[in-house]
Amino acid sequence: MIPVSVNRSEIETGIPAVDASGLPDYVSDAEFRESAARERREKLRMFLTNWQGLTGLILVTLFFASAIFAPWLAPYDPNALDVPSRLSGPSWEHPAGTDQLGRDTFSRILYGGRVALKIAAIGVSVALVVGLILGMIAGFGPRWLDNLLLLLFDTVRAFPTIVLALATVALTGPSLGMVLAIVIITSIPQYARVARTATLTLRNTDFILAERSLGASMSRTLLHHVMPNVVGPLLILAAMDVPVVVTVEAGLSFLGLGVLPPTASWGTILNEGYLVIRDAPWMVIAGGIPLILTTLGFTFLGEALRDIFDPRMGKGR
Amino acid sequence: MLYYLTKRLGLSAGVICLVVLVLFSLLHLIPGDPATIALGPRATPEAIARYAEKMHLDEPVWRQFLIYIGNAITGDLGLDVFSDRPVTAIIMERIGFTLALVFAGMGWAMLLGIPLGCLAAVKPNSWLDRVTGVLSVGTIAVPSFLVSIWALLIFAVHLRWLPAIGAGDPGDLGDQLTHLVLPAFAIGLSWVGYLARMVRASMLEVMGENYIRSARAFGLRPRRVIFGYALRVAILPTITLIGMGFGGLISSTVFAEIIFARPGIGKLIFDAVMARNFPIVQGAVLVATGLYILVVLMSDILIAWYDPRVRESL
Amino acid sequence: MPKDAIAGSEALLDIRNLSVDFRTPRGRVKALRDVSFPIRKKRIVGIVGESGSGKSTVLWALLGLLAKNAEVVAGEVRFGDRDLLHASEPQLRATRGEEISVVFQDPMTSQIPVLTYGTQMRDVLYRRRNASTAEKRRMAVEMLGKVGIPDPDKRIDQYPHHFSGGMRQRAGIAMALLTGPQLLLADEPTTALDVTMEAQIIHLLQDLQKELDATVVVVSHNLGLIAELCDDVVVMYAGEVIEAGDVREIFHNAQHPYTRALLECDPARIDDVSRKLPVIPGDIPDLTRSLSGCIYAPRCQRAMPICREKTPPDVARGGMSLARCHLLDGPHHDTAWPPPLDVTTVGQGEASARKPARVRRDDPLLEVTDLNVQFETVGRLRARLKGIRQRHVDAVLDVSLSVASGETVGLVGESGSGKTTLGRTVLNLVQAQAGRVRFEGQDTHNMPESRFKPLRRDMAMMFQDPVGSLSPRKSVRALITEPFQIHGVTGVDLDAEAERLAEMVRLPKPFLSRYPHELSGGQARRVGVARALALNPKLIIADEPTAGLDVSVQGEILNLMANLQAEHGLGYLIITHNLPVVRHIADRLAIMYLGRIVEEGRTAEVFDRPVHPYTRALVDGVPQPDPDRRRKHVSISGEVPSLLNRPEGCDFAARCPLAQDRCRTGKPAHVTMADGRRHACHFPLH
Repeated sequence: MIPVSVNRSEIETGIPAVDASGLPDYVSDAEFRESAARERREKLRMFLTNWQGLTGLILVTLFFASAIFAPWLAPYDPNALDVPSRLSGPSWEHPAGTDQLGRDTFSRILYGGRVALKIAAIGVSVALVVGLILGMIAGFGPRWLDNLLLLLFDTVRAFPTIVLALATVALTGPSLGMVLAIVIITSIPQYARVARTATLTLRNTDFILAERSLGASMSRTLLHHVMPNVVGPLLILAAMDVPVVVTVEAGLSFLGLGVLPPTASWGTILNEGYLVIRDAPWMVIAGGIPLILTTLGFTFLGEALRDIFDPRMGKGR
Repeated sequence: MLYYLTKRLGLSAGVICLVVLVLFSLLHLIPGDPATIALGPRATPEAIARYAEKMHLDEPVWRQFLIYIGNAITGDLGLDVFSDRPVTAIIMERIGFTLALVFAGMGWAMLLGIPLGCLAAVKPNSWLDRVTGVLSVGTIAVPSFLVSIWALLIFAVHLRWLPAIGAGDPGDLGDQLTHLVLPAFAIGLSWVGYLARMVRASMLEVMGENYIRSARAFGLRPRRVIFGYALRVAILPTITLIGMGFGGLISSTVFAEIIFARPGIGKLIFDAVMARNFPIVQGAVLVATGLYILVVLMSDILIAWYDPRVRESL
Repeated sequence: MPKDAIAGSEALLDIRNLSVDFRTPRGRVKALRDVSFPIRKKRIVGIVGESGSGKSTVLWALLGLLAKNAEVVAGEVRFGDRDLLHASEPQLRATRGEEISVVFQDPMTSQIPVLTYGTQMRDVLYRRRNASTAEKRRMAVEMLGKVGIPDPDKRIDQYPHHFSGGMRQRAGIAMALLTGPQLLLADEPTTALDVTMEAQIIHLLQDLQKELDATVVVVSHNLGLIAELCDDVVVMYAGEVIEAGDVREIFHNAQHPYTRALLECDPARIDDVSRKLPVIPGDIPDLTRSLSGCIYAPRCQRAMPICREKTPPDVARGGMSLARCHLLDGPHHDTAWPPPLDVTTVGQGEASARKPARVRRDDPLLEVTDLNVQFETVGRLRARLKGIRQRHVDAVLDVSLSVASGETVGLVGESGSGKTTLGRTVLNLVQAQAGRVRFEGQDTHNMPESRFKPLRRDMAMMFQDPVGSLSPRKSVRALITEPFQIHGVTGVDLDAEAERLAEMVRLPKPFLSRYPHELSGGQARRVGVARALALNPKLIIADEPTAGLDVSVQGEILNLMANLQAEHGLGYLIITHNLPVVRHIADRLAIMYLGRIVEEGRTAEVFDRPVHPYTRALVDGVPQPDPDRRRKHVSISGEVPSLLNRPEGCDFAARCPLAQDRCRTGKPAHVTMADGRRHACHFPLH
């Protein structure tokens, strides 16, 4: 039988479940638009008063700005050697000190941000697109294909990233391209999984059935009806994924498996700092701070966006 | 239930084979002589010849693969390139340290994270909830290897409260434990956040369900409702999360071992990679993967067994 | 509330001036305003109201289980010597489950799935510290037996998913009555159940109430349920009590215009099917705004200027009876109100009250012959491993049916009857394993999609869930014009078409830019109709067209469908379980049970002289909204068997009061009688 879901919604939201099938008397179009505008303002207000979201936004902007404008902001050339002043602590000339070859750590941090940005931008976008496509195929296609893809995703995730990286580097040698490839390959499964779950849920909904009954082709259904509803959670996932991607690059570079010296990356700064940790501890601090700020920023932003736009997702998995 | 078990075991075995296959393929797909690639540009011709012979590189690839798998099942993972010691033995020496770290790290995270998440869900928007929320996001966001480095800096280098390097004296349990503290803290920290958040979200969702409303309407005590009803259902996605996130835990462990110079599997792989000791890389990767698969399998089976609806449909 | 209102039987619970607000992003919703009524001891009190009436909110307020954004603004609830509204949480908890118990609407979600019934019921008894676990179990088993669960000693250790819907509801009732509460609250106890199960539960509640001398409060929108079950009735509208009284007073002599209009709109009370269904025009007011005057005035047929200015008085009639209306007392007292029952007070807003004439052509539009649809339940490998012999279920078994242009055929059945599957198979959304489907003379069953696609212009479906069947991120305009795009219709001004269709379904133009989640259920239904009509179909299959709609407004969509049929000569196949509605709109009826058609014929005849025992059970089972026509006994027991366990012989034999040996051994064949009626019964009733 058809459960009348009136009661639950009435309790949960306090808004009586109104069911008007005559010409609605009270909600004229003007009133409706006003109430819709009120809701939009409310959402904006929620975002602006959410200190997490604001902080996230500020930090993310800082990240983008410092990375893009690094050549103008950096006081020194990141590779300029100045051996006499090596391993000096923070000072007016060198806000973050110098490393073991006398290079200005602050400038290297700014340029390291560019590396992070590159990896994040390319890695996340490629992984998202590929994951979306694969996930939709897995969710919408035949069962055997779904099982096969799931097996594939599980296999890829079976490699803890670092292990995969180590094994690969053992054979190919370290490089930025390698890091990018690893990042993309290990990120795809999570996007694919979310896309797949969303697609599977949608597949059984009435509106997909309705589209079939109208004669919509599979491609039309996927493009117009499935994808727009799947992309939302993926974008939020992307915001939360950037910190992961940046961390992976930093971690791999830290181990010497990624970006190679003399290129500046937050990971290589940490690597060099680790080696001199007893004598010049400020290097690991300086190298770690931008990493933390970036990861915190994107995470806060992602959380705030999720709370506002997809509260179901925030409360659920 | 038996059918499900068989299916999952079969699948797991398949995944492990696939992983080994990938490694094999990488070795052979890269242009050049496999032995040279494996051993690096500085290997001597004799070493290369010896390696080629040991690894049966003259045979077709699929045969090599099968030989390897066959050997692996019996416990033979090949020989170390430099010392000729069996890889299996080397791994067995070191695996204990890794396991200790993994359990310690996950253990304290669970002991702190799950109750915290529970409490936050029960009193939403209280100061406890807000603090937990910020802490969770904070700990999730900070990369674990950075936590390792900074923990090392603060507690070992600067304050000198805890040792920095190694796993401690083999015979001395207390010493081993003190060596365990910092690495376990580092890898567990982000998990506190994950678990607290997952438990909180899951609990909040469950507490909105109709059957919780029923339990409250029957006047059941709050403690019974929270732990006997809500948590009982809400724990399921948490188990899934642990299963799925285990790979990340292994990654953190590898970093922690490298940073703190603990002689575990992670460091073994790293050193082997640097030294171009490919059989160890292959064997250790296999073991690490096997460990991960085992944990995922156990968590899946646990869930299947725990939920009576799932248990019977299998 | 007049002081002498509580005369006669003593009040177990007295609700006085209860007012509850909800804080929502849209504003402060005044959900309950000054609600007062007594609940008299040992009576069954029904609270009846439509969507937005606040009837369930009253229940939750009693128990202190309102949502977090709710605020009790005023009032008190006297229960013995306590005021429940101002009691502390521990005090409330002591009351809940022990003195006041609840039966919930949806048994599928109201019982925790991971604990056995034994454990859940033991938990309910936790306050009985003196009783041992064995003792508690004995009490629980006894109660399960009392509510009609067979083999209670074994079944108490099972999990909820082992119980069917009807059994779960019985178990829910058992749990509620376990502690012997003084007051039982029932929130829409039968809404989620099949008609034949509903009848059984109604009788169960009646029997238990008598046996345990309990006081019961039933909240429902179903007038039939209220009339069958209740002694006292409280009518709520938009958060206020607008009328209350003894059940006979309400149903035979309603004083308030709304109550009167509501009763007139209920199709089960309307015998004449040649007239259009009445509708109360308009909508409940926006409860976030301040309201002056009578809450019902905007929709009332008898509204006077005073009604919008001054709140009407509660006019008492003695006992707990009252009605809140200016017409009944004071300067505007109208002695001619209320008019006798055969006078219709609610206007139809239509040019004529009679249904438009339809032309029914003879050539069948749709012809289904011996259709069989199966679903696979277990994969081949797993079946082998587990030794399962039967790998599929027959969802549709040997079904033959036809629909002509201009004709409305009703397909009636309960859960598991296969009616929805049949509809989807006709539309080629599900594969058929055997049989034929002919549309306009062409065989269409299992036609490849490329060939079938053009035919989709001629047949359309209206879905049960109006909002859920609309793609969430598309505007109404996009949704309505999508059929044109799908079928590549060029040379058409899409905007003009969208407006034309919106006009046809009486959807105002501004709605074209809205999104599905911004529409109400009724508005979304209209969009569904518009979409179905876009390419001028010849056949429309409507799946539960009135599901979720209040009785006072369902007439709108049904009248609209009737008009469209007269204008365009459409054929309708209406899939529903709602017998009173289908009696009004269908020319012919086909009754389905477990995938087979057990009876088919002209609507009036099927209702007046059913031939199959199941049909009679269905017709008898519908709760009648007239307390004088209460059924004394239930004509059917048990539940619809599961498709996985299709019995040998007649599917209905296990529940049939007339079953004989022959019924249990062989399935009855389809028989066509002289007057055109078809049935599948070994021993038909005529």
